[in-house]
Order: sequence, then C-alpha cells, then structure tokens
Amino acid sequence: MAGASPTTNTTKTTRATPPGAGRTSRTSGAAPAPGARPGRRKREFTTRRGLLIAAFMAPAAVFVAVFTYYPVIAGSQMAFRNWKLTDLTDTSWVGLRNFRDVFADPAWGTVLANTALWVVGSIVPQLVIGFALALWLRRRFRFRGIYQALIFFPWAISGFLIGILFRWMFNSEFGVVNDLLQKAGLIDEPIAWLADPDTAMAAVLVANVWYGVTFFAIMILAALQSIPDELYEAAALDGAGKVRTLFRITIPYIRTTLALTVLLRVIWIFNFPDLIFGMTGGGPNNETHIVTTWMIKITQQGDYGRASALGLLVVAGLLLFATFFLLATREKREVKP
Amino acid sequence: MIGKESAIGRAVKFTFLGLWLVFTVFPLYWITVTSLKAPGDIFAFPIAYWPEHFSLENYSGLFGTADFGTYLTNSLVVATVAGVVATAISMLSAYVLARFEFRTKSALLMAALVTQMIPTFIALGPLYLLMTDLRLVDNRLGLVLVYIAVCIPFCTVMLRGFFENIPDALEEAAMIDGLSRFGALFRVLLPVMRPGIVAAFIFNFVNCWNELFLSVTLMNSDANKTVPTALNGFISSFNIDWGSMSAAAVLTILPTMVLFAFASRHIVQGLTSGAVKG
Amino acid sequence: MRRRTAALALGTAAVMVLTGCSTMSPGADGTVTLNMVESLTNPARTDLLKGLIADFQKQNPKIKVNLVSPPTEQADQKIQQMLQSGSGVDTLEVRDITVGPWSNNGWLYDMKKDLDGWQGWQAMTENAVKASKDAKGRTYFVPYGFYGLSLFYRTDLIKDAGFSKPPATWDELLEQATAIHDPAKRRYGYAFRGGANANSNATAIIEAYVADRIDAANGFKLTDGKTIFSAPEAQDAMETYLKLFKEASPKSSVSWGYPEMVEGFTNGSTAFLLQDPEVIATVSQSKSVSKDQWATAPLIAGPSGRTVQPLATAGWGVAEGSKHKAEAVKLVEFLSEGEASTAFTKKNSLVPILKSATEDPFYRTGPWSSYVTMTENPEKYQVVTQPRGVDWWTEWQQKSDADVQKMILGKITPKELLAAWDAYWTEKWQREK
Repeated sequence: MAGASPTTNTTKTTRATPPGAGRTSRTSGAAPAPGARPGRRKREFTTRRGLLIAAFMAPAAVFVAVFTYYPVIAGSQMAFRNWKLTDLTDTSWVGLRNFRDVFADPAWGTVLANTALWVVGSIVPQLVIGFALALWLRRRFRFRGIYQALIFFPWAISGFLIGILFRWMFNSEFGVVNDLLQKAGLIDEPIAWLADPDTAMAAVLVANVWYGVTFFAIMILAALQSIPDELYEAAALDGAGKVRTLFRITIPYIRTTLALTVLLRVIWIFNFPDLIFGMTGGGPNNETHIVTTWMIKITQQGDYGRASALGLLVVAGLLLFATFFLLATREKREVKP
Repeated sequence: MIGKESAIGRAVKFTFLGLWLVFTVFPLYWITVTSLKAPGDIFAFPIAYWPEHFSLENYSGLFGTADFGTYLTNSLVVATVAGVVATAISMLSAYVLARFEFRTKSALLMAALVTQMIPTFIALGPLYLLMTDLRLVDNRLGLVLVYIAVCIPFCTVMLRGFFENIPDALEEAAMIDGLSRFGALFRVLLPVMRPGIVAAFIFNFVNCWNELFLSVTLMNSDANKTVPTALNGFISSFNIDWGSMSAAAVLTILPTMVLFAFASRHIVQGLTSGAVKG
Repeated sequence: MRRRTAALALGTAAVMVLTGCSTMSPGADGTVTLNMVESLTNPARTDLLKGLIADFQKQNPKIKVNLVSPPTEQADQKIQQMLQSGSGVDTLEVRDITVGPWSNNGWLYDMKKDLDGWQGWQAMTENAVKASKDAKGRTYFVPYGFYGLSLFYRTDLIKDAGFSKPPATWDELLEQATAIHDPAKRRYGYAFRGGANANSNATAIIEAYVADRIDAANGFKLTDGKTIFSAPEAQDAMETYLKLFKEASPKSSVSWGYPEMVEGFTNGSTAFLLQDPEVIATVSQSKSVSKDQWATAPLIAGPSGRTVQPLATAGWGVAEGSKHKAEAVKLVEFLSEGEASTAFTKKNSLVPILKSATEDPFYRTGPWSSYVTMTENPEKYQVVTQPRGVDWWTEWQQKSDADVQKMILGKITPKELLAAWDAYWTEKWQREK
C-alpha cells in the first residue's frame, strides 16, 4: 500500500545526498564544526544520540516484537513437529515431514497454479486500470472531487465482506449478474458462476480487481501530481506526442513508485485469503484455493504442523521474490537516466 | 499529458470514467437495495431492481435480536484507539528512520517488510496462548494492542516517506530558535505533515475496522465482538441470512466509506507530498 | 520473559484507563462465573440458550454463566484453542465428532463420578444414555438431543406436478424432483449437497441401498465385514444420486453446504431437502414458504423398502481445565433434564433425549410426526451407529467431500469414487487391527 511511496524516495534521496546526515550532530548537542559538510557528520556516535534513537524506536519495536514476531517464531517450531490438534499426545519432532506432506498433496499443483493466476490476474488489470484512472484524474475537471470520492471507496471495505457481496451478486439463481446478462441477451440460461470450476476463478478475480484498483489509482495519482509541469512543457516544445510523453517522461519519472507499489501489492494479494474465504471458500473442487486459503483449510483440519510449514514456505517464497524483484528493478533504474 | 485534449480523447476518457463509476458503485447500490427489500422479497423472481415494498425490517432485526449496536461500538472504539496509538508510535519510529543513519536501520526496515509477508494464520495459535498468559483474551484492550502491532510496520514506512520530504531546514531553524527536538517535532513538523498523518490514520483505522481473523480468535463473548465477526456469524450453520447480511454490510461499509470520501483528497495530498520528489 | 512482563504492565495500566474491564475479576462475594461455549451456533439457538441460562442463574444465584458463541465455521477450531490454553472454558458443547480427539488430548473432564446417582439418567431414553458413555464407560458429554434425517418437501409443488404423496424411496424422489425441476422458472427439484459435508448425504443413500445387510454397530460396514462401498447396490445408489444432481438440482448446488441447502428450501425455489430436524425451526420462520406449503416425510428408503437412520449427536461437557467443575457439572445436569431439556429440543427441533417426549402431543403433529413414525418402526428405519468418532474422521470428510464434488463435476465416475472409498476404509480398518 502506502509503503510504496516512502520507500521510493528513500532510494532516491539516499542516492542524491544523504539527507539524514545534517541532523545527527545536533543531537549530541555539539555545535557543528565550521565548514563541516553534513554528509560527514553521520558517523558521530554519541550516547545521547543513541538513546534518542532507541527511545523513539522502542515502542514500535516492542509492539511488533511481542505481538507479531514472538507468536510467529513460537509457532514456527510446530512446522517441524507432529502437531495435530486432533491428537496432541504425540508432538515429537519430525524433521521436514510436514514440508514433504505439503508438496506431496495431490492438490498442491492446482493450488500453486491458482495462486499464480490469482496474483497475476489481479495485479495486471488493477495496475492498468489504476494507471488509466490516475492519468485521467490528474487533470482537473468538473466534479472531479466527487468522482474521486465515489470511486475510491472499495479500498475501505474488508476483503471478507467483498467476498460476501460478490457471492450474492454472482449467485446463480437469484444473482444480479446473471439477470443482467440475460436481459442483455448475452446468455440464455443462468451460469453457476461460483459452482463451475471454469468460471469461479474469473468471478473471484473480478471482485479483487474491483477492490484493488483504488490503491493503484491513489498511489499513481499521488506520484503523477508530483511531476513538475515544466517537464511536460519541454516535451511539448520538442513536439513529443502523447504516447511518447507517457513512455519518455511519465513512466520513467514514477518508475520507483510503480515498482514498489507492485511489489507491495504482490505481497498483499498473495497474503489475502479473506476475499476468497468469503466468496467461495476455495471451491469448487479446489479451483479457487490459493496458498493462503489452503493454509486456512489445513488449520481447520487441526494439522497445525503442516499449516505452519506452509506458512514458513510462504514467507520464504515472498522473501525470495522481493529480493529478486528489487534487484531487477534496481538494475533498470540504473540503466535509465 | 498537458496539451489540449482532442474531442475523441475526451469522449474515450469520459466513457471510461463513466463505465468505471457504474462498475464501482453498482455492488454498493445492489447491497443497499437488497437490504431495503422486505425479507420475503429478496428471493422473488423476476429480480426487482428497486424494492417493491420498502422495509427496514432487516435493519431493525439487527438492533433488536443481534445487538449490532454493541458490535459497531466495539469496532469503533477498537479501530479508533488502535489507529491513533499506532499512528503516534509510528511517527516516532518513522522520524528516527528518516532523520538518522545508524547501523541497524536497514535491518529494521527489512523486519518491517517481512511482517507484511507473514500469513496471519501461522501466528493465531501461539498468539492466543500469549494473550491468555497476559489475561487479555476476550478483552477489547487485548485486540487494540494486537492491532497496534499489526498497523505499525506499514504506518512507519509510510510516515517515514513524509518526513523525508520535509526539508531539514524547517526543524533546524526551530531548534536554533531554542526548541527541543520534541518541540520541533510537534510544533513545526506535525502541522506541515497533517495530510500525511490523516492519511496514515485512515489506513490504520480501515485496517482495524475490517480485520476478521484476529478478532474471531481473540474475542469470545458477545459483548466484545467486532463487526466483521458478527458478519461472519450471519453465515450460520442453518441459513445464510442475506437480508440481515446486506443490512449489516451497509452499516459496516458506511463509516469507512464516508471517511474515505471526506478524506480522499487528504489521502492523495498526503501521499503526494510523500510520494516522489524530484 | 521480560517482554511479556513489560507488555503485561503496559496492558494492565491501559486496561484501567481504557476499558475498565471486569471479566477477570473473580467474584469477591463468592459468586462463580462459568464460561460456556457453544459450537453449532445460530442466532435463534443462542437466544434460546440465554433464556435457559437465565433460569439456571435464578435457581443458582451464586453462579453466573457467560455464554460464548463463536461463528459456527470457526467454532470448533476456536474451542480447541481455548481448551489448549487451559482457561476460558468451563462448560462446552461437545460433538460426536470432537469428543474423541478432545478427550484424547486430555481436555475433557470425565463426569462419570459426578453424575453417579443423578436422577436425570432415569428420565433419559436408552439411546441417550448409551451415547453419553464412550467405549471405556467414561462420560465426556451428556447428549442434548439427536440429529437424524428426514425429507422436507413442498406439498404444493408435488401436487402441481401431479403426485398425490411424497416420495418414499430414492427412485420416487428422483422421479418427482425431475418432474418439478424447471431452471428457467427458478424452480428446482432437489437441494443437493455438493459442498461442505457432501459425504453425509452420499453415504446416506448408499446405506439406504444396502439396508438389508448393514452392520448395526458400524454404518460403513456390511454384515460380512466388507465396506458398504464395495456392494453392487452402492453402485446403483451412486448412479441414482448422480442423476438426481444432473436432472433435478440447481447447478450451483455443486458447492452447497448446510446453509445453502436450507436457504434453497426456505427461499421457496427448491422442492425437496434432506435435512436434520433442526431445520424445522428455520423453515417455520421462512418468509417465502408458508406453513401450508411444506411438510416432512420419513427418511426415504432404498429399493428394499428399508432404510438407515444415521444418527448424529452432540451434548454438553466440562473442560478439564475448569476451576469450577462442580458448578460446571451442575449446569450440564440442569440442561439435560426436565423443562430445560424439553425446551431446548423442542425449540431447537431435535430428536429428544427424554422418554416423556413420546407422550408429548407436540411430537405427534405437524413436521414432527415423521420422526415419531420413524422411531415407531425400527425395522424399516434402522438406527445405525456411524463411525464418526474415529481419529481420521476429519480427514475422511475432507477427502470424501472432494470426491463427491469431483463426481458431480464429471471428473471421476461413481465407480471410481466407490472404489476409492472402499480402499480407504478397508485400509484404515486393517491398520486399526
């Protein structure tokens, strides 16, 4: 989400001039040495400065350590044990058995393929539509404020509730989607959207696109508004057309925002079982199960060992992805001006 | 993008914007219409696009039998307190991360990113045991504490971006004028950052307002339930109660929607100042 | 753990300021607070329980009961978490499918001694007394009632389709449902169970088809020791069942579980529903189907004219971690006898646990009469114990649900399904020995 923007400028700012530098010495209370450049001062360590950093970081660190990291680390040991709620009399260590069980499940291939489809099929339309909306909303027009307020609201709704909402609309007997399609003459008889393996994923994706476009639109719009008009004026003077301007100026300028928004969204969409949970519960025939809904299913069976193993795999996979993604986009950033 | 738009361009633009508006608003319209139908009419065929008999029965049922008012209050209290505290705490950490260089900084940022990758379900069991030890199960305060922890990483990273975009000169000047660092932070920086802080709070509030799995896990008694848990409850083992469900959905969506609508400019503005600078 | 202490200090401080919470304060005046957790939650039942609890508190002014009602889908998982943490539960709802694992983990309290000499036993039916004891004679829960199947049907729809009486066999059901089925008019024959717990109705039809040679002690076994899935009749059963889906059920029922099936019947679109008596209460409240439009018929039979009633049960038990076991047992006793039990089974529409029910006019009329018919003809409607307490029951449910869904989606044939099920149970039973 919003994480994208800040990170963006970190990379930029650090590259230009380390901005944090100037302030550090002041913490120590010492007057800045005359002629000393801010960049040099950052390595001055004093107890007072250290204490200030620690004091300001402490509340956040304590909260996250106690309520996020501690349970996760405590929970991850279950991944290596025979930890089934149905029988806790034997919770011996079983090495990597739970991990093997995850991979050995006949449905695992389907789940992985679904996850890929879920992530890509959500992110691409969200990005494209979000981008288009942002481009068009950049220029002032009448009622723009109201329009913006009206189309941004999906982000404020919970994934579970969106699942329920669309489950009702895609209901094959009394759903409004079938009714509209029939009225338009596009289909003859109602489609059992959520019960048909061929259409269930499509329906779920529609719901997720509906929900997620907002975030891209907001982030990109914010980025676009910070592009100085002079750049466009210069391009216009050079006689650059719209498409050229888009690819030569707009996209390069907001590239970092784009890359980091995409990265965060991929992580979030991957870790977003709520919508599917509310809409299909993973069915029919596992066709809408993604890795994280699959994990819920395993948890509900009481096999905490295997669920934890799967959870660790998710974190590892996403870390790997994030690393590669950051490396890949960084390279590009350096090639281009 | 700044040149004159052609007539065709305008037509394409407004057609697209119009279609998107319809697509976005329709589900909301539909759930509202459903909630206003008399319970027997929801399954009438042909489907009515406007309630034939307006009825508030679905709504009155929520407050009569289901005690929805309590759930709304709980959600409001929990999301507000957690949102405010998380924003305040994140402001401190974001400030340090923006203004200082220190050895553990990149590790801390990484730790924040990793929190986003952890599936909630891996932590539920141990978290429940921890909260039992702390005597905070089935307690709104317990949920608030957990939500604060959930909000902090993202909120910190977001606010850090805003701090970085405010020139150092501002607080330096203030400190030369004799203000302490705290004084500079509160008197000078915060007013400048207001849209960003509002945006951060709204994101926190919405996240907490909507959270389901942690709430189901940590809250037991009816008096402590939040709205998403109640919604989940409407899919009872006997019957999906679409009437109550849609009425509850409307009531759940309204507060955050209004918040978003009023603050949508703030959000974009807040992020703009933070998003990218030259 | 220093962190824990720090958080605890922070927590307690904030508790005072923020919430003024009082849940954990043990009654200074000697009052005991019991936490009671239900599992098969629904709003009407929760209200009913609250009423009964109020009566209990009136009789026992020193005991306060705090009812916890988690959403059904997460309920058992949540109860497990609470039991594992060792606190927060005193009295709880235990089901035939959860009693095995939970007692095995040492989470449930054996009430045998406490209930020795309890008068309530005398008033209970034989079935109920039997269900309250496990294989080793321990009492982990006292059943509050039984769930059995009967056929809910639409009197007006079968009449319009030209039938004079409800179906008595699966073949007749198929015939009538097909005649009524008309998707274009949003009218459907049968509320098929293709989603969660699809296996229960699939095995019900198989058991009906093999009713003549089923093992009364194990509903999945034939008298010759083989699985019911290996019987040739099972093949006929599955073919009929598949036809019932293809020709008489809404397409979306591929993913229908309990709530969707009941919804399908109560919203007036579906003519037949095979369900627990519990549903009577829900259907009675329907705004789309009026009282004279529906009735129940006894569970439908196989070709032999006999059938099998797969009884399921649940009841109230006490957590091993409870600090107030005596009071918790008292609550179980209260709920299991006299007016409380009668009220609970009547309003929640369950097959009652008290002998007195057979004389009660309430059960002789309306939708309930089917259940009386069934109890009075045990030859035709055999009561057979299902192997629901085995360790692998959850695994079986997941597997068999997936298989039923695959079959109706055409991914596997009935034959393949039955072969897989036969292999599954044969292997499990062999390993058990």
